[in-house]
Amino acid sequence: MPEKTFTPSRVLIYLVVSLIAAAYLVPLLVVVLNSLRTAEEIAQTSMIGWPRQWAWGNYAVAWGDFCIAQTCAGIRPYMLNSALVAIPATIISTLLGSVAGYAVSLWRFPGDRWIYGVVTLGIFLPQQMRLLPWTIVLRDLSLTNTLTGLVMIHTIQGLSFTTLFCRNYYIAIPPELMRAARIDGAGFYRIFWRIVLPLSPPILIVTVIWQFTHIWNEFLYGVTFTTGQQQPITAALIALSASVADIPQHGVQSAAVMMAALPTLLVYLFGGRYFVRGLTAGAVK
Amino acid sequence: MNKISRRAMLAGSAGLLAAPRHARAQAAKPRLTVISQWSAGSDGAAITALGKKFEEKGGTWQHSPVPGFTTEMMNKLRAQIMAGDPPACSQLKGPEIAAWSKIAATVNLDALVAGAGYEKVVAPDLARLHKPGGKWISLPLQIYSTNMLFLSKRAMDKAKADKIPVTWADFNALAEKMKAGGVTYPIANGGTRPDDGQKFEAALAGISPAAYRTAIMNLDDKALKGPELKAAFAQVRSIADWMDPNTAAQHYSINLPRFVAGDMGMMIQGGWAQGVLLNAGFKLDDFIIAPGPSDNGKPVFLLNADAFIFWQRKEPDLQAGQTLMAQLVMDPAIQTMYSQITGSIPVRTDVDLSGAGWSDGQRRTAAALKEAVAADQAVLSLAHNMAQENGMTAAMIDVLTEYVKNKAITPEQAVARLSNAVEGAR
Amino acid sequence: MPAAAQTGQRRVAVDVLRRLPEFLTIWVPLLLCAGHLIAFALWTIWVSFTPSTLVPVAGFVGLRNYTAMMATRNWQIAFDNLLLFGSGFVLLSVLTGLGLAILLDQRIRGETVLRSIFLYPLAVSFVVTGTVWSWLLNPGIGIQKLVNGLGWTSFRFDWLIDRDMAIWTIVIAAVWQSSGFAMALFLAGLRSVDADLIKAAQIDGAGPIRMYRRVILPTLWPITVTVVVIQLQFAITTFDLVRALTGGGPGIATQLPALVVYDFMFQRGLLARGAAAAVLMLLILLAVLLPYAAWRYLQRRQSAHA
Repeated sequence: MPEKTFTPSRVLIYLVVSLIAAAYLVPLLVVVLNSLRTAEEIAQTSMIGWPRQWAWGNYAVAWGDFCIAQTCAGIRPYMLNSALVAIPATIISTLLGSVAGYAVSLWRFPGDRWIYGVVTLGIFLPQQMRLLPWTIVLRDLSLTNTLTGLVMIHTIQGLSFTTLFCRNYYIAIPPELMRAARIDGAGFYRIFWRIVLPLSPPILIVTVIWQFTHIWNEFLYGVTFTTGQQQPITAALIALSASVADIPQHGVQSAAVMMAALPTLLVYLFGGRYFVRGLTAGAVK
Repeated sequence: MNKISRRAMLAGSAGLLAAPRHARAQAAKPRLTVISQWSAGSDGAAITALGKKFEEKGGTWQHSPVPGFTTEMMNKLRAQIMAGDPPACSQLKGPEIAAWSKIAATVNLDALVAGAGYEKVVAPDLARLHKPGGKWISLPLQIYSTNMLFLSKRAMDKAKADKIPVTWADFNALAEKMKAGGVTYPIANGGTRPDDGQKFEAALAGISPAAYRTAIMNLDDKALKGPELKAAFAQVRSIADWMDPNTAAQHYSINLPRFVAGDMGMMIQGGWAQGVLLNAGFKLDDFIIAPGPSDNGKPVFLLNADAFIFWQRKEPDLQAGQTLMAQLVMDPAIQTMYSQITGSIPVRTDVDLSGAGWSDGQRRTAAALKEAVAADQAVLSLAHNMAQENGMTAAMIDVLTEYVKNKAITPEQAVARLSNAVEGAR
Repeated sequence: MPAAAQTGQRRVAVDVLRRLPEFLTIWVPLLLCAGHLIAFALWTIWVSFTPSTLVPVAGFVGLRNYTAMMATRNWQIAFDNLLLFGSGFVLLSVLTGLGLAILLDQRIRGETVLRSIFLYPLAVSFVVTGTVWSWLLNPGIGIQKLVNGLGWTSFRFDWLIDRDMAIWTIVIAAVWQSSGFAMALFLAGLRSVDADLIKAAQIDGAGPIRMYRRVILPTLWPITVTVVVIQLQFAITTFDLVRALTGGGPGIATQLPALVVYDFMFQRGLLARGAAAAVLMLLILLAVLLPYAAWRYLQRRQSAHA
């Protein structure tokens, strides 16, 4: 419950926090303002500035009309692609991660420590080392240039994080619970369904938020493994800005960036509390 | 199945295999899968127009532009080649053509080139790049000069100058005059790697195209340590001193407003800058275009040419598409259309640029190319990956970009570093 | 006797069959994940010993790629930068995260809003972050211009174009982006400090600062270690942010290993050299991780014996 006294030290705290918060908001403000300026104005003055005319139309153009690589349907199809990749990959990797985390921390089996160690090392493997091997794998599975291929990549890679989060959370579940259930004759699946899963919402939310953000914002694989209409939104955004023989449409581009960031921003806006709560419950140890 | 029909079947298949590709291809409707990085702007518009012409001739055009820079396009190309599914045609240029042709099979275009008489109208240095191993496997489409001089009219007025500089000495004198006349930065530059490379190659080629050829194109060690290199680095240092240091890693286009307003005086850029200036809303009479400085009186041309390479495919419709595409690319009317959209000049030296669709800048560039070829002063651009493969180019540009951004490096040190970098990257 | 043995065998067989789905459920995803990691790492190590340029080819060139890579200025600058950036970034983001968490823990109004404000940078892609910060930190159009315009004309903030200071601009942008995560972890830790300990300290007459130093901060030690490890991982593998913010420049002053790997492998068409750089990067990571793992192992042994 917030304190209601206003001693000098509290005023100082409020002041400091407000200043820092303002500093944190500045980059967002710059993009929002740019999304409401015309390209000519930005080109003629500067990348940072207050709009002289309010170009609300930028958003409509970015959504439905803007020409990216000769297809003039705006960013709408790419947002859809991103969703088609991020949502399934998040759900599957979270589910698999929670089962794996449960298996490693509660159910236990021979070799569990080792495999867990290797799986979590995956967090540290840089993406450049995976680019070409995935090319080979996708080719052998005939999944080149498909959204399914991207989903597979993100699911398998995501297992590293999701298993880590879930395992650290489940470790806190009292072993007596497990023992009692096993004495009662419950098996692997029943324990998961009846005991572990109902206790999981805090960590599942953390995992979902984390995975969704990572997959939605991922750029390298999206550009390399898909073309044209299959591409996710991050690749399309790069298309808006990379041209030597042209001045980029900064206004529309900023509007596109805002819309592309909206899903993850909303996820943190509404899920922020659960995010901290889940971390409190011990997502990372 | 009795023996006779089996023999007949074998004979029939052999006959099919022996039939000229051409004849089989003619039966199929042409189709073309293309990869390029030209997804936006005038480049995008030009390749779309080319696609339309392809479809007008009855073909199916399947272009997949890869957003991003050339690396992303090359990654995509590599991924598809490794997957065994190369596009029928892709953008590629310079010595990379030779390098990539070793990892996947390409199409022999000799017959088509001979039929169109293309080789006669292409600059020899350029033609060489597209015939690694002696056979044509790719076709150049458009040419840019990377060392065009752009002069701001208003800055010239401030400097009270009206003569276009011809030699580097003229250039330096004009820069000083501009500074004295109140132009804050006589040179409007970009901070990207190609920009830094462009300054160096313009300086070296302007001082001595012969030295440029031996040192940069042939990587002759003695030439790399020669006096012309030192002079070129000294010239680059002067240029760097006249630039705005704030343009960190940014595209040169952010300086265009100040360039037009006369606050910055000159640009050493490729011909594409004309298109960029016009697209930004500036007018042709805001600036003057001239060939880059050349110390020996005859124009020096730094070539940057885009090209299409053709990858071997078994499907007859793709093969028909490749034939059609090759014919289109070599066609003077198509080259005219393409260059008018992008602001480049056609590869063919026999195209007449006196028509209405061409700008003075393009005419001057084309004339410069002709003269330069005649004087054997048409050389390949280093900064745009025409002189060397990407690995070597990047190693050399590492040195150049460090030199431009670090005033403490002397020309002597730069020369040493450059030859070391070349050795290390061989 | 044989009949009993047969029944015993059948029972085992039935048991195995019954547990097969469970076995598969446990092992298949974990093996896929672990398998692909090991396979990819081994593949990269293999490539680093071949003469591969544009595409992977077989062959053995000994340590040539490694020596060539370590001899380039690119790698040397990148390695130095990693030390600078790694330590600067981790330190600053831990301090910032901790500071923000302590501030937020003071039961102030609007905590929810403030928490969202500090967390939202996590939601934004690194490419966007790098681009926006490249505008803000540019002296010609960003913060320096703003402050100069406000009247303080001698203010300079041109780190972005300064070869020696540019690496710190990356630190600033990276801290902005990820200190929210550190804050969230620290906040979680602060909120889980044992209430009895606090009460005991209060009874002893400890003021707020003493309370923090003696009671609260020490209990945060395990979480701090976790934060440090995750931020180090970020520092070592960061790529998109640097590419968008400085592109490795000015010149090659802000090169970092992840950029060098991508540059050599894909931009320069020198796969084997790039793979060697990637393996070197992995070795650096191991140099951080092995002590951590050893420390955790010792900790577990200690608490098991206690």
